[in-house]
Amino acid sequence: MAHDTTINTAATANRTSGFDIERSIVTHRRWLTVMVCLLCASTAVVIGSLRFGAESISYTNVVDIVLLWLRNGSARMESAEPNFMILIYVRLPRIVLAFMVGGCLATVGVGLQALLRNPLADPYVLGISSGAALGAALAMLIGAGTTIMAMASLPLFAFIGGLLSIGIVYRIAVSYGHLPVHTLLLAGVVLNAVFSALIMFITSIMDPNRSFGMMSWLMGTLLAPDYPALGALALYVGVGTAVLASQSSALNILTLGEESARSLGVEVERLKKIIFVTAALLTGAVVSVSGLIGFVGMVIPHAVRLFVGPDHRLLLPASALVGGMFLVIADALARTLLAPSEIPVGVVTALAGGPIFLYLLTRRKGGLAS
Amino acid sequence: MLHNKPYQCRLAMWALIGGLFFFGGQATAYETDDGTMKRRQQGILTGMPFMANVVPRTFVDDLGRKLYLAKEPNRLVSLAPSITETLYAIGLGDRVVGVTEFCDYPPEARSKPKVGYSRPNLETIVALQPDLVLAPRDFIRPDVLAKLEQLKIPTFIVEAKTVEDIASRIQTIGRMLGRSESGDRVAMELRRRFMELKARTEGLPRPRVLYVLNSQPLITVGPGSFIDQLIEMAGGANVASRAPSPYPRLSMEAVLAQDPQVIIFPVGTSEGISPGEQTLWRRWHTIAAVKTGSFHQIPSDLLNRPGPRIILGLEKLVEIIHPEQFAPFNSPPDR
Repeated sequence: MAHDTTINTAATANRTSGFDIERSIVTHRRWLTVMVCLLCASTAVVIGSLRFGAESISYTNVVDIVLLWLRNGSARMESAEPNFMILIYVRLPRIVLAFMVGGCLATVGVGLQALLRNPLADPYVLGISSGAALGAALAMLIGAGTTIMAMASLPLFAFIGGLLSIGIVYRIAVSYGHLPVHTLLLAGVVLNAVFSALIMFITSIMDPNRSFGMMSWLMGTLLAPDYPALGALALYVGVGTAVLASQSSALNILTLGEESARSLGVEVERLKKIIFVTAALLTGAVVSVSGLIGFVGMVIPHAVRLFVGPDHRLLLPASALVGGMFLVIADALARTLLAPSEIPVGVVTALAGGPIFLYLLTRRKGGLAS
Repeated sequence: MLHNKPYQCRLAMWALIGGLFFFGGQATAYETDDGTMKRRQQGILTGMPFMANVVPRTFVDDLGRKLYLAKEPNRLVSLAPSITETLYAIGLGDRVVGVTEFCDYPPEARSKPKVGYSRPNLETIVALQPDLVLAPRDFIRPDVLAKLEQLKIPTFIVEAKTVEDIASRIQTIGRMLGRSESGDRVAMELRRRFMELKARTEGLPRPRVLYVLNSQPLITVGPGSFIDQLIEMAGGANVASRAPSPYPRLSMEAVLAQDPQVIIFPVGTSEGISPGEQTLWRRWHTIAAVKTGSFHQIPSDLLNRPGPRIILGLEKLVEIIHPEQFAPFNSPPDR
């Protein structure tokens, strides 16, 4: 369906792109339909998952508590029952966090896959995530005694780590004068190995009590953040996603090939830099709050592409929503399967994402190469 | 056939189990004239106590391996801090020629040559020419053990899961190394203090305890872990006692619902609970422990090492969990 390339100029009237040729069958109406459907689905998933957790709270109780919260704010918390605390201060922020992290990873995946025209591209494969994790691990090592300091500096260190790894990968690859995809991927693989080794080194010299905690944090962990922290993260995520979304038309053209894109007036090298820095920013923010959560960035864009087509103006926001939903569901499983204990959510995403990916792969063999 | 006669079967089963206990009891203990129970001397083969005197230099370790010692070992390598502490406690510190990098107690142990830990450096061990290596069962890697056997280095594996295990291993090591007396003395002292502590906490209400190995993500101790046992012995109720694994990542929801009255943070030798960590926990102000400010630290080495100092860790736990029982521990008992 989506792979029949037709030109629909009327559809793009409201989205000023500045390019002559639009490779798209995304009509205004279809965009709206898909997005409204996905938004409804996301809301349903978020509300539905409020019911699930280590402690069982019935739906009527959930509704009561949420209404109480909306009416009174947090002023009445002192007298509140534990269920109020659990729902409003543990479960809800965690679900929102899961949604943001999932959306972020999927968006970054879309951007990198478009840029490298390679279905394997993903923040993990390119070493951005491990770079960010290395930065975060360093922050933990330095700010050993003071958790608050470490908390504040984590996203910054993670961003610097991600940016550094992107910088190195880019430097290596660009020595050929341009940026060949295979060199880039190979450089990413090598860098990944080096960074993993460095992270292992850091855990080995840490206090064993602490390194144990860091290892399990690295496995992918969604904590219950307080609302200010959630707001700060939303800011990062909002800016990053907006930047990527603003480049979606250029990304569409880039899929025709670099030469063609260049001849069509896209500043390819500048576009690459924008995407890379944004990817490092988003990955850094996400890794600093959730450790390493794999597979979302690779599987979700593929799955979404199979259903809505390769046009990034729709693919990008749709992937963000689907990625968010996916991680909320994965985290609900992580929270409940072994309750009262939890499973690292990174384990769940890999176990759930792998089979989904294989299923989609065998169902539509041709669908993966966008 | 079995399900046709469930009643008879069950009866037979109970009879069998009862018989086992009966004969088991017969085999290990007998009643003396003055009415006190005494343990029969343990031989290498249960039921043949006389063997203990026939082959005095053969010992069976906790993997069931037999170890024959022609003469008393003089050069010892310890592969666990708990074993090092045991050796020093029974006065064998000067025979220790190699320890792990974590052996920091007593302070003299630090100056001994280091051989590594779960993956010890075999070359270093060989160079030290030990005539006995003592290793913990939980952390010795099978390939390392196989290599030591291949190199004909006598190795004795120790595993202690309970306080009684710890006491009896101290005695075994004492017998093996010609220090039966001090081994028995240390073990009996450990048992005596343990019984005293048990008597003291018996019947007291059990405060709900949360033991925080790591705050973010929250990792604690569950059933099957040594520390979970210690908390129960010290008269507390572990809030993670329903968790499915020994070291679970506990859901914050479960913590809020269980409402711990005491929160314990294991710390290294000098550091305390960091202010940041305390701030993190203060967020959950509906928890009883947060309301009363009942945050406590305990040196993790005292609880993690199944050696003679375990009793200090237990007493410290009782001090934290039952502060009303606190004072008498500071003054030595009258007896």
